[in-house]
Amino acid sequence: MEDKELLEKFANPESRNLAFNQLVRKYQQKVYWHIRKMVIDHEDADDLTQEVFIKVWKNLENFRQDAQLYTWLYRIATNECLTFLSSKKRKFFLPINDVAAELAEKIDSSPDIAGDEIQLKLQKALLRLPDKQRLVFNMKYYDDLKYEEISEILGTSVGALKASYHHAVKKIEEFLKQD
Amino acid sequence: MNKDFKLSDIPKHNIYQVPEGYFDRLPMRVMERTTATGNQHHSPVYTSLWQALRVAVAPFILLLVFVGAYFLSTPTQKAGNASIANLPDQEIVDYLTTYAQVEATDLAELSVADKDITSDFLNISPNVAESELEYYQLNEEPF
Repeated sequence: MEDKELLEKFANPESRNLAFNQLVRKYQQKVYWHIRKMVIDHEDADDLTQEVFIKVWKNLENFRQDAQLYTWLYRIATNECLTFLSSKKRKFFLPINDVAAELAEKIDSSPDIAGDEIQLKLQKALLRLPDKQRLVFNMKYYDDLKYEEISEILGTSVGALKASYHHAVKKIEEFLKQD
Repeated sequence: MNKDFKLSDIPKHNIYQVPEGYFDRLPMRVMERTTATGNQHHSPVYTSLWQALRVAVAPFILLLVFVGAYFLSTPTQKAGNASIANLPDQEIVDYLTTYAQVEATDLAELSVADKDITSDFLNISPNVAESELEYYQLNEEPF
């Protein structure tokens, strides 16, 4: 079902629940994987994904249709991730590298993370990036979003995003060349 | 590792996994939570009506506060006046002669007061007045 039709059905109280259920089914994987790559842990990703859709439920009627629905969803998911990660740093009084180390430890020990050595090392390299740069990298590299779409999600200029992605790739390649 | 290593050499692969059937159950779990919060969901018409009502009600509540404050303060003053009016004149005179600085003219104008008390002040002889003054030590500090 097209987004426009989903929104029209959501606006009708009689078909609201059905439309929202279809919206969740349509976008749940994009939202979940976007969050999971940022927070690593499945339980955290699960909680945040549900929070994202609860916020969507509460605010969908105010959604301005001049923006794409999925970029709006990405924006909400991105904000949830950044809030979660910053609260995690504050909660444990940990500097950024210690949170990254904690997440890297999860990559090694979690039973629901499986990949060959280079894949695991790539994920650990990503954790060395600042959160926003990691977001940019994930959306460009894994989700194949256009810079214009990422710009709409993050509210950052296309030029700055291109530079950020370029530097991220360089840092990752440097890290992977080590050992 | 190869010094000419490029990121593009690594195949894109998702190493993260979810429990079996996770995405089948997630929509239902989300819907359960929206149902729990669904009662708080209002239509745009309801929301705009409520906003208009809040704007209209705010001055009315403010007016009620002022009126309430007025009626709470006014009866206290009346009660004060009423309680003074109910006091016997003798009690008032006793109070004033004990605590207040009363001029002789005040007592002269007090027609209802005890004539014996007022006459003690008004018809005092110079000798008695002088002896009374000597009895009290005057404050030597300059005014």
